[in-house]
Amino acid sequence: MRWRYLDLTGFLTVGVVCLLAAVPVEGQVFTTPWGDPDLQGTWTNRTLTPLERPAEFEGKPTLTEAEALEWEARLRDGNNTDIRTADSDYTPGTLRDVTAAYNTIWYDRGERIVADRRTSLVINPADGKVPELTPAGAARKVDLREADLREDLGRADSWEDFSAYVRCIIRSGLPRLSTGYNNNYEIVQTPGLVAIYQEQMHDIRLIPLDGRPHLPGAVRQWLGDSRGHWEGDTLVVETTNFTDQARGSLFLEATKDMVLVERFTRAGADMIDYRFTITDPATWTSSWTVALPWNREPGLIYEYACHEGNHGLMNSLSAARAADEAEAQEQP
Amino acid sequence: MYSKLAMVIAVCGLVAAPAPASAHHSFAGEFDINKPIQLQGTVTKVEWINPHAWIHIDVTQPDGSVESWAIEGGTPNSLFRRGFTRDSVKIGTVINVDGYESRDGSRKANGRDLTLPDGTKLLMAGSRPN
Amino acid sequence: MISIAAVVLVVALGMELAGQAPSPTAERIQGRPNLSGIWQAVNEANWDLEAHEARPGPSQFGALFSEPAGLGVVVGNEIPYNASALEQKQENFANRWTADPAAKCYMPGVPRATYMPFPFQIIQGTGKIVIAYPFASATRLIHMEDVGESPVDTWMGWSHGRWEGDTLVVDVTSFVDQTWFDRAGNFHSAALHVVERYTPTGPNIIQYEATIEDPTVFTRPWTIRMPLYRRLDENAQLLEFKCIPFAEELVYGHLRRQVEN
Repeated sequence: MRWRYLDLTGFLTVGVVCLLAAVPVEGQVFTTPWGDPDLQGTWTNRTLTPLERPAEFEGKPTLTEAEALEWEARLRDGNNTDIRTADSDYTPGTLRDVTAAYNTIWYDRGERIVADRRTSLVINPADGKVPELTPAGAARKVDLREADLREDLGRADSWEDFSAYVRCIIRSGLPRLSTGYNNNYEIVQTPGLVAIYQEQMHDIRLIPLDGRPHLPGAVRQWLGDSRGHWEGDTLVVETTNFTDQARGSLFLEATKDMVLVERFTRAGADMIDYRFTITDPATWTSSWTVALPWNREPGLIYEYACHEGNHGLMNSLSAARAADEAEAQEQP
Repeated sequence: MYSKLAMVIAVCGLVAAPAPASAHHSFAGEFDINKPIQLQGTVTKVEWINPHAWIHIDVTQPDGSVESWAIEGGTPNSLFRRGFTRDSVKIGTVINVDGYESRDGSRKANGRDLTLPDGTKLLMAGSRPN
Repeated sequence: MISIAAVVLVVALGMELAGQAPSPTAERIQGRPNLSGIWQAVNEANWDLEAHEARPGPSQFGALFSEPAGLGVVVGNEIPYNASALEQKQENFANRWTADPAAKCYMPGVPRATYMPFPFQIIQGTGKIVIAYPFASATRLIHMEDVGESPVDTWMGWSHGRWEGDTLVVDVTSFVDQTWFDRAGNFHSAALHVVERYTPTGPNIIQYEATIEDPTVFTRPWTIRMPLYRRLDENAQLLEFKCIPFAEELVYGHLRRQVEN
């Protein structure tokens, strides 16, 4: 008798709980035919909002509408490589002008800050700044910066003096922030798996949802190894097994043992609430979290065949050999 | 020598975009900051390729001879999303190039600023609103 | 008392289950077969689409890179080149160990990506289908609705897909002219047009057909045909094959600084 009562209550409770878990959050009606939340579509993470809170906004996590408009205009001007005057950011004849490289039409940095008018993409720590680096992390950051600057000297020995970016292997390790262009993604879902096609470098992230373990530690990948599961309407993706085989394979000054946890939650027809948390105690003294929304992109994803057309690296190497030749001829 | 340039770069330290170090393209290693160049030429071919488009122009010299130059642009992908196509820069268009010459001595330059003879930027903002 | 404890226990259990239930699999999506999964061609097509004997590889590697014989995958067993294109093919074949664009880790194009001897993955969504090929991280996005023409020629083509019954038909255009169909030097121009047909004939087999049309190179369209087999390994996973670092010596080696002796 008591057993039968337990059965019925248990059944009803589990049923109610499961129903509640399945009921969409307010306003959300995006579900795949097989019942998973639907994140599919073409998305962009382009934004003007910087990773870290600028000094002028210390203590000010969000702006008023008026402040936001004023700041947006300043950020757009700062990105406008067409403004080339003696007192602009891009004065002809300066290193900054050379590295700006093109007219603004070739770039796609975005026109807006994030919709909630935050002053940084970093939301944890609360000061909007990346946590302090460990001594090893700080040293790695300096080394990476110096290696980048050496590329500008035009005296490379070989392609290995260039980053994975210049070599067209990958263009920035995960997680991806808003960059100069190609900030576009196509999410395609099928039962048991989420795929994210990244326009930058035509890379595909394949995220199984079946609870399988990660790859063995000896197998490392440029985009790591991702495993996903649903927590209510949120896709939670854990990525490990990164590689440090070349400069530029990792995110900022991270090590290959970094653990990345991303959360994707559909927030209406035209937005995904995207946030990530990085844990890499060898690099940062604490975990840190970024919120960077993905907005609906009305355009299409285009192929970015980088290595196949990489005249830039060829030219950089021939420039280095030409410099060697010139130097050799200077010496009697 | 290049070590002096290295010192200058180390002191100044600033590279254009507010992007992480891993997103650096070594333009200054390919094109010479000390060799700014202005060219006017007629478009003969456009390679709509990645990572950089290449606009080939014929530049008529004062003595009447013609030099062929290759001008480096950015990624066509940004243009396509703005509604441009491979027909948006037509053969025969006269363009002005304000850029930096290739370090290796070949007839290449980066198209830092591309304009039409009337001063308007090549490929003004396109049909699709941002 | 016991019943309240039981309710609490069951609620906790139910919530745990709701958070971790794996997504279902599905044999059909929106009334069509679900082609998602990891697939692989098992044949000798990547060495040579046409029937061929076993042949040597580069001699310094002995038998290691020699080539097995193949029955061929071309319907009618003849690739119908026009006269000048046939000469180009023969020149390609003579130079194939260096001239094959795949040696430089260039994306292999369509349909070669299908029958390179590596697994690939189909991800069938509700508006797009992605096919991921690990070699050179080549990826194709197949649009299942009309998105218009490609603005430019591409390495992996511009794909529009539609269903004819249980067959996925993919129409591919806008190719660059720089890929080969195999290691034997079979090639095409930028006029290439490929129509693929993927027909499942069981849970673990897709019959694949590709019809190739290129009036500047071939005198008529021709078709290849092969089964694709599902990879049934436990926890089968597509792994990266980013081969650019393996090819850079070939591509840029002539510009490496030579160390003086």
